[in-house]
Amino acid sequence: MHYPEPITKLIDSFMKLPGIGPKTAARLAFFVLSMKEETVLDFAKALVNAKRNLSYCSVCGHITDQDPCYICEDQRRDRRVICVVQDPKDVIAMEKMREYNGLYHVLHGAISPMDGIGPEDINIPDLLKRLQDETVEEVILATNPNIEGEATAMYISRLLKPAGIRITRIAHGLPVGGDLEYADEVTLSKAMEGRREV
Amino acid sequence: MYIEELLLKDYRNYGELEVRFENKVNVILGENAQGKTNVMESIYVLAMAKSHRTSNDKELIRWDNDYAKIEGRIMKSRGPLPMQLVISKKGKRAKVNHLEQSRLSQYVGNMNVVMFAPEDLNLVKGSPQVRRRFIDMEIGQVSPVYLHDMGQYHKILQQRNSYLKQLQVRKMQDMAMLDILTDQFITASAKIAAKRFEFLKLLQQWAEPIHHGISRGLEKLEIDYKPSADVCDGQDLSKMMKVYYEKFDKIKNREIERGTTMFGPHRDDLAFIVNGRDVQTYGSQGQQRTTALSVKLAELELINKEIGEYPILLLDDVLSELDDYRQSHLLNTIQGKVQTFVTTTSVDGIDHSTLREAATYRVDTGKMEKIQ
Repeated sequence: MHYPEPITKLIDSFMKLPGIGPKTAARLAFFVLSMKEETVLDFAKALVNAKRNLSYCSVCGHITDQDPCYICEDQRRDRRVICVVQDPKDVIAMEKMREYNGLYHVLHGAISPMDGIGPEDINIPDLLKRLQDETVEEVILATNPNIEGEATAMYISRLLKPAGIRITRIAHGLPVGGDLEYADEVTLSKAMEGRREV
Repeated sequence: MYIEELLLKDYRNYGELEVRFENKVNVILGENAQGKTNVMESIYVLAMAKSHRTSNDKELIRWDNDYAKIEGRIMKSRGPLPMQLVISKKGKRAKVNHLEQSRLSQYVGNMNVVMFAPEDLNLVKGSPQVRRRFIDMEIGQVSPVYLHDMGQYHKILQQRNSYLKQLQVRKMQDMAMLDILTDQFITASAKIAAKRFEFLKLLQQWAEPIHHGISRGLEKLEIDYKPSADVCDGQDLSKMMKVYYEKFDKIKNREIERGTTMFGPHRDDLAFIVNGRDVQTYGSQGQQRTTALSVKLAELELINKEIGEYPILLLDDVLSELDDYRQSHLLNTIQGKVQTFVTTTSVDGIDHSTLREAATYRVDTGKMEKIQ
């Protein structure tokens, strides 16, 4: 199929987004053509602004439009606790909980030798710098419960042990509110492994 | 359990096939190169989501087609269970009871098969890799957690090997990271090793009397797990992990020099021992075949014990390779309780009630019809 050049370019641009293949890209591109011009302009502006005005917080590494970010700036938050996560999206997930009142540290990835990602390729050095400040009493490791996330958590805990800071790892197992019968075997076996006395 | 109906679409040399089987012995006759083994393989693939002959799924798709489909209606003690597997060039999609399964580890295990093919002689005389594959496939059939652990294990192994390579070429210097990968590796290894010990002990319990019977009471079969590190049966996980820690501590520098993980379940092996001698080295061709057969028949019993019904038995081109006594012993064992598929070029010369009552099919260039 031969399209005029502007639309080919638009389709190619959409295809750069995750989860979008040639067919969806073509559908989106044709939809854009049917949109009002001002809506399209707003859309384009939103894209550019997001890129231009957002950067990573120099303290915690979260995405932000001001530096330091609103979480690091917020004086009401508990500065004695830092929760370490892999991704800015994880901060947002944690914030939805509205229960955690400490600070964050975003690693931007997990250690994975296979993909050539070593400890110094993620935001670990900055974390160490932050901990030299004596106010921090606890570090919560909230990396993903997979092999890479687990290795990253173990690595950080090993680095921090000598400093005498309390280090905790989030629990994993059954989702709350879920039925036991719908859990898959692997999750159930993890939940059994992590059982505790009541 | 048994398979009542099999449908193939663009699978190997079959364009389209729809065939009903009976819950007894099904004999598939045909000349060479007509597609007998392909039918057997398709039943195996339907159960295991991978072939026993190849690791390249694309080979299963018929020439010039985009995907192959295998569908089967499995009758279990709890009722019928439709299974479906679509193999395309991009990957596999599996359905159980019309529901798409997001993970293959959830699919495998719904239908159980035991296959005995000429390649299975390699189980005894082939490389350790063949035997490891055998234990992993068999435990996987009855334990989805093992399949998951095995997947994790391989991933950790890859991570650790990558890191050892980076240490080898001095791209990395951080030994703390190696310690962590070793920790993860040991935890996973101990789980795998413990499960394998447990499985082999059970397998031996069943295989020993069967082998005794097939060999007319002359031979005693033992199955030993031969771990690459000195872990042994009966140790609990923490004891095993301690053994691994000592081992890996000792060989750390050698591992870095070579840039690879030198010990662990991926290097383990098992040995079949008849009357005190290793069959792989000292056994005759006949003894090796009998051993492989005993192990396969033991598997039937083992699966029956674990899941409460007999799996489907696939005998590909093996009946003709056994002597009269072993043939009838085999047929007596399965008589009336296991749905069995037998491929052969001819049934002449095999005189056994099980075969006389069998359903017979003829395969001819990718077509199959019932003749008896």
